[in-house]
Amino acid sequence: MSDFQELVKSFPKIREYVRDFFVYGFKTRQDFTEKSPRTYDNQRRRLESWLMPFIRRDYVPEGSNISLAIDSNLLDTNPLFQVWKTRSFTDNDIVLHFLILDLLGQGGALTAEEITDGLLTSYEALFDVQIVRRKCNAYTKEGLLEKRTSRKKVVYRLDTTLARWIQGQEEILDALDFYQMAGCFGIVGNVLAQQMDHQNHTFRVKHSFFVHTLEDEILLVLLEAMNRKSLVELTLKSPGRDRPATAVCVPLQIFASTRSGRRFLCGYVTKSRRFTCFRLDSVKSVVISETAEDYDGLLSSLLKNRRYLWGVSFQNEEGHHLDTLVMTLKIQEPEEDFIVERLVREGRGGIVLRKAPGIWVYEIQVFDCQELLPWIRTFTGRILSLSCSAKSVEECFYRDLSTMYHKYRLDRTSQQ
Amino acid sequence: MDLFSEIYSCYYQVMRHLLCSPHALSLSDIRRQIGAEGFEESLLAIIPKITEGTWNLFERCDGLYYPRISSGFLTPLTALERAYLKALLADPRIGLFLRQEQQNTLEELLKDTAPLWRPEQFYDFDRFTDGDPYTDETYRRHFQTMLFAQKHRRYVEIDYTSPKGKRLHHRYLPARLEYSAKNDKFRLLALKHTRDNRLRLEILNLSRMQTVLLTDKTSAAPADINAMIRRSYYKEPLTLHIVNRRNALERAMLHFANYEKNTRKLDEDTYECRIYYNESMETELVIEVLSFGPMLTVTGNAHFLELIKDRLRRQMSLAAEAAPSG
Repeated sequence: MSDFQELVKSFPKIREYVRDFFVYGFKTRQDFTEKSPRTYDNQRRRLESWLMPFIRRDYVPEGSNISLAIDSNLLDTNPLFQVWKTRSFTDNDIVLHFLILDLLGQGGALTAEEITDGLLTSYEALFDVQIVRRKCNAYTKEGLLEKRTSRKKVVYRLDTTLARWIQGQEEILDALDFYQMAGCFGIVGNVLAQQMDHQNHTFRVKHSFFVHTLEDEILLVLLEAMNRKSLVELTLKSPGRDRPATAVCVPLQIFASTRSGRRFLCGYVTKSRRFTCFRLDSVKSVVISETAEDYDGLLSSLLKNRRYLWGVSFQNEEGHHLDTLVMTLKIQEPEEDFIVERLVREGRGGIVLRKAPGIWVYEIQVFDCQELLPWIRTFTGRILSLSCSAKSVEECFYRDLSTMYHKYRLDRTSQQ
Repeated sequence: MDLFSEIYSCYYQVMRHLLCSPHALSLSDIRRQIGAEGFEESLLAIIPKITEGTWNLFERCDGLYYPRISSGFLTPLTALERAYLKALLADPRIGLFLRQEQQNTLEELLKDTAPLWRPEQFYDFDRFTDGDPYTDETYRRHFQTMLFAQKHRRYVEIDYTSPKGKRLHHRYLPARLEYSAKNDKFRLLALKHTRDNRLRLEILNLSRMQTVLLTDKTSAAPADINAMIRRSYYKEPLTLHIVNRRNALERAMLHFANYEKNTRKLDEDTYECRIYYNESMETELVIEVLSFGPMLTVTGNAHFLELIKDRLRRQMSLAAEAAPSG
């Protein structure tokens, strides 16, 4: 018990546990086979400590399992932001944080030696000058301090102009309330609002997928690589294999699904010479390597190809370059005009035509029609016919329908 | 720029609040603050560090703790936070919040900062195309009135055109502004007094509001909107059986992650998932369940099951009707 630490050193280790508890929420101690039971117990205890108000415990024959009960309709924040606030630190780290920032907050630019002296005289805190310099340099890297050379001396100063300005701008705090819930890198908006002692009580998000905040560290590195126009080496999760898979690609754009919250890196894989999308939640780590050749050319080629993408797949199972899907719908006019509106609004550039009164046709040409099927199925009850140049897609659609008729005992065989 | 850094840690926040206290603290004050802001077991970790003086940030006298730093202590923004703000300036919705002169000032304060991301680095491939008109002056004015009213518990008079074209005029108390990334729309969760003077929760699209007038009437206490939402949930949840083939389990769990739900394993590859929902979520949930095809089977509640069966029956009859045309 005594060696249990609530805080952790490494984020990737905890990421998978949080994800499993959040996403699945039914795994018992026995289901976590990758690590020792003791590791599981410690991680579970940490999660319970960080996220207690959202923890639900269920008892099942195999033991108890915990899950995270997170209903985005009821929350003014993303509870999983807590996970980002669990980084461990040393005693020196926290003491130096407050004392150096307080000392420099009084104004002026000081050398590491002057800061060390100031810590002793103003706060009775004795530190080695090397430790103080190291902390000042680390804080310069994080942007908390400015470092410059003055009269051949390296001095550090602190600028709180922006922080003070934000404190007095209610509108910015409102914006942070919103963007931490609905925007990219919401965790940054959250810590900034927290720094200003401000909490959101105004905004909610309807389609919010809180779990994806856990990928933000990966995303941060990918964006940096994109800014540098560099290649990246990805280490990917590969269930069922002993070793994780790896891939080298030119990172070009982040694709995001607003329906599932999933985000993908769309990159050009040099080995296969293809555009490929990698799910961010399957990327374990990213290493930025050398500058990519013809980055702008690849990006422009991606943008040209993007109009033939339905989702994230650049190729189909049948080896065709492009496939065409045509769906004919029966729509009661005008009561069901909202269905036509859905076709236009959600159809991603597909053609929508009124073929006859009450009969509408939707047609699209994309790389992989298989990706369309989940959306097509949302029109169940109105589809007169579906045809696709990829016959496997057409067959899959009708086969799935038959299976559903059977499952719900609607077909003749199941009624007998 | 590190995202997982102790600078943003919960312990640093707790300590900042303790250290910015304008008066001396007793140990019970300290415990109370840690209990309110820290994690469940933070007391065990932080208290000895303070009492034993390992974190030598307080002066101790007569059992009271005097912060060594000034109460006006302010943490500057990190490079990550500045880059984040710079990125927000490029978002079309920022004008809903900041006036032009505020945007200009922020731009000037961040003139040497590169944005954390640029809009063109992201592509939301399934976002609906009829998002709200964020740059429209009337829309912006309505948004700001609503925001003000929500924060100050003021009632508003709203003239509204319903999706069916009906013109409505009512007095509402704004409870929350809800954003949907999928629809790219804001909606107002608003409370309306019914004839028997009870409060009813209604949802209004901001873009359908014709006029919005701030009234002088104020609500004395905040309404417990979560209790109202919870009460609106059907007693019997939607129950799904998921057969874990083609990664269906993970896909379903992620897809329905934004609902309150619980899941249990029934046998080797079958799972049961119970999802809690209300009438306003029903149609969307039906569509979402249908999108999974045979991977999911609805086993309850009876009403939801009937909705799914009804769609399938209609589909069966259409299949019979559809004859190949020449």
